[in-house]
Amino acid sequence: MPLHRGHHEQAQVALVLFCVGPYRTALEARHVLAMTDHPTALRTANAQTLLYEGGDHETPPNRWLTLRDAQAASDNNSTWQLGVSGDITLQQLPANTLYPLPKLLLSRRFSTALCGLTFHQQQLVLLLDARKLHPSLSQAPCS
Amino acid sequence: MTAEFPRDGEANDQPPATQTLGEALAAHGDAEAVVDIDEPTQQLVLFRLNDQPFALPGSAVSEILSSDQPVYYVPGLPASTEGVLHLRGKIESVISLHQLLGLPAPEGNQKGMILLVSAAGITSGVRIEQLDDVSEVTQSMLQAPPETLSGTLRPYVSALWQIDEQEALALLDPEALFDAYQQGLG
Repeated sequence: MPLHRGHHEQAQVALVLFCVGPYRTALEARHVLAMTDHPTALRTANAQTLLYEGGDHETPPNRWLTLRDAQAASDNNSTWQLGVSGDITLQQLPANTLYPLPKLLLSRRFSTALCGLTFHQQQLVLLLDARKLHPSLSQAPCS
Repeated sequence: MTAEFPRDGEANDQPPATQTLGEALAAHGDAEAVVDIDEPTQQLVLFRLNDQPFALPGSAVSEILSSDQPVYYVPGLPASTEGVLHLRGKIESVISLHQLLGLPAPEGNQKGMILLVSAAGITSGVRIEQLDDVSEVTQSMLQAPPETLSGTLRPYVSALWQIDEQEALALLDPEALFDAYQQGLG
């Protein structure tokens, strides 16, 4: 048992960190299939439009993360690309520092993909559930 | 041989205050009426929003946090959500009650304290503008909300406390507040 408990305390989660507008954001790394400088998939979406109402200050993405389409049938390998910005880094963060979104906020969030929060380098990081993210409307690749 | 003891009042040559037996008993009776240890009391946390007096049950307020407690903004939430705070290994939401209670948003950037409120299995910070007191109030001082109470406040007020002739304090029901917030109000 002590071994098991020790293993749990040391558990890490691999996350891909990026920016959505001015906000530091992360996805679990196992859901990110690739990263490109330009959109190559048939379907894309700017993360900002999926997460919150950006108003007039939508930040254009400069990186594209390829994700499997969670809404597609399980035997379908279709993918889409999420447009993000800022520095993209791969980080192993301790599991016990990843917090679920407070209960009161669950029913009021703009996107159900917003599932938790953590802190990295004294900065709040929004944790997204990749399985809840999908391009609501098919879009042509941005140029 | 008899010994004479000085009576009260003789030591300073002042005549003792006189009182009838009836007055003495009545005074004793009055004292008992004021200190009725059997009357149930309730602890209230008294505060102000938009300069109006409100209270929450002390049993629902686990902590009073200072105004300099860092609150982190989270996008994609309604304006009544100020953000989250990181408190001893937990993340808690911080909300404002103004919109829910039909009060105008506070002006300026000066922020008051945060009450950490728990109800219905939910814990959240509630921003207040001014903390007035933490007070023990007898149940008899709390009255049922009158019919004339505004429809906006009525669902969230469990009792009124008439502080004086000028001012009545509204005791808020934290469970009703959280429930309404979750349903998209405020």
